[in-house]
Amino acid sequence: MEEIGKNESIRVMIDEDGTVVAEGDIDLAGGPLLDTAILRLEGSKPVVIDLAAVEFIDSSGLRSLLAASRRAEGRGTTVVLRRPSSGVLRLLGITGTTEQFQIEGGQESES
Amino acid sequence: MTMSESETPTQGTTAASGPVTLTLPPIASMVRVGRLTASSIASLSDMTIDDIDDIKIAVSEMITLLIQSGSRANVTLRFETTSGSFTIEATTPATSLDLGRNDLALATAVLDAVSDSHEVAFVDDRILMRMVKAIA
Repeated sequence: MEEIGKNESIRVMIDEDGTVVAEGDIDLAGGPLLDTAILRLEGSKPVVIDLAAVEFIDSSGLRSLLAASRRAEGRGTTVVLRRPSSGVLRLLGITGTTEQFQIEGGQESES
Repeated sequence: MTMSESETPTQGTTAASGPVTLTLPPIASMVRVGRLTASSIASLSDMTIDDIDDIKIAVSEMITLLIQSGSRANVTLRFETTSGSFTIEATTPATSLDLGRNDLALATAVLDAVSDSHEVAFVDDRILMRMVKAIA
């Protein structure tokens, strides 16, 4: 597991399978570190982001994921959100952006 | 960062002790500080865990918008709990406010979902935000 970076909000890693793993909060401080990891992996394959350990996300964090989705669409591929936490699922539902991603696993949304 | 309570300490809830104000420098790491402060104050009321989660999202949206739209000055927040609601007011100096920005539209959609009412205005070279969450 390679650590891409961490700060007071988030820790972002890339595991042996090339999956971005985020732990903590994806907010104004956490989003840029997530961007760094995603940009390193962008290519012809889908970018997979494991969000099981994400405790919080707001719209600034969601913008990082949406930007990655738009770039992926431009390459003819997609962004996979693996095991999104209930908070992530809820924000996707609130903003009507669930369809922008391929969801793998995950907790039941509380919304 | 400064924090103050407007009245002398009591042993009651925040509804009894009055509003709390928090002043944050306009940097990204302070969003988390505002979120933790808001959730701590909200937890002193009769709010549910889901309601407190909504408060955390709301205050995060408010601080983020003010940091990104303001003129790099401090963000001031005021938290007030009454018997029926939890109110957050937030403000920062700014030169303008573009209500048509895409990121503002996304933040507004989120605030619509997690609050009972909210508003944003540009008055006297300041952005003013206010959200109210009812306490069931």
